[in-house]
Amino acid sequence: MAQALKIDAELRETRGKNAARRLRRSGRIPAVVYGGGGSAVSVAVDPRKIAPVLHSEAGHTSILTMEIKGLETARVMLRDWQAEPVHGSLLHLDFVRVTRDTRLRVRVPIHVTGEAQGVKVQGGIFEFVLREVEIECLPDEIPEHISVDVTDLTIGRNIRVAHLPVSPNIKVLTDPDRVVAHVVALKAEEEKPAVEGVEAAAPAEPELIRKGKAEEEAGEEAEKEKESKS
Amino acid sequence: MLMPSKVKFRKQQRGRMRGKAWRGSALSFGDYGLRALEPGWVTARQIEAGRVAITRFIKRGGKLWIRVFPDKPVTKKPAETRMGKGKGAPEFWVAVVKPGRILYEMEGVGEADAREALRLASHKLAIATQFVSRRGAA
Repeated sequence: MAQALKIDAELRETRGKNAARRLRRSGRIPAVVYGGGGSAVSVAVDPRKIAPVLHSEAGHTSILTMEIKGLETARVMLRDWQAEPVHGSLLHLDFVRVTRDTRLRVRVPIHVTGEAQGVKVQGGIFEFVLREVEIECLPDEIPEHISVDVTDLTIGRNIRVAHLPVSPNIKVLTDPDRVVAHVVALKAEEEKPAVEGVEAAAPAEPELIRKGKAEEEAGEEAEKEKESKS
Repeated sequence: MLMPSKVKFRKQQRGRMRGKAWRGSALSFGDYGLRALEPGWVTARQIEAGRVAITRFIKRGGKLWIRVFPDKPVTKKPAETRMGKGKGAPEFWVAVVKPGRILYEMEGVGEADAREALRLASHKLAIATQFVSRRGAA
């Protein structure tokens, strides 16, 4: 079960990208709190408090206690976040209010434990296909992760969503037939011999998706010939 | 080498590479990846050289994903040709890469091996890159 961490937020009166950029320069980031029967509130939060939450074991499914100065104290959960693509710094956060009696839909990470027999003994490759599963449960019952033991997995066998060990209070929304992990046999090395002549040669041109391309090309060539003659 | 099988037009204009790669900037398949730090054209030959460097280092085991595809034709005029007389012939294919773009992803190997394999691949590319792992990503 995720533990409640306290974060402070300030009401944000300004709107737009200029104000948001000014806010980010001052060390805080824009965020919004909505849901739970209340109205949407624009706030500013400290990203240094949120980044450890995202990197924690529970990740974005952590329940936080947000104290909005002069307005309310609410239990919230991260619904969405935007991060800068190169450095990964947070740009904007979406929080959703959670109430104890409302069932939530969240994506929970899947953790694999053990080393698959197919890898250890048979020399196959373990493929972790589905890393998150969508579940529906009460906020207090959200698991940090769903652990699955892959020790007995051999080549050609797989673990599907239906095989995941989840508590009876949790409803799994992801298709039960979806493969979570499997072990595949190692393919023969595909490395092609590097032939200098072939490498150096210009590749053949791809086919053109056009009507009457042959006619047009013929026309173009004829025009070029005319130009060169003149 | 990678290239499209069918195209609508044989030649393209060069274009600009402003901004960052907002799409394709997160690890989607593997545990480790190589992220571009600057904009540039990555040629099909460079992508292939990187792939060969990775597979040669890993030898067996592990899985590799190439997250970029060279779908832009680059034309070149023949040597010692006077200017004019139209655009040159398509010469090679490039992938337009913006900062943040994940170029390769790997799975099924240890972090040290992945780091070394992707370091070797990075030397085949003409742009600055960075090793990224799922543990380090938000």
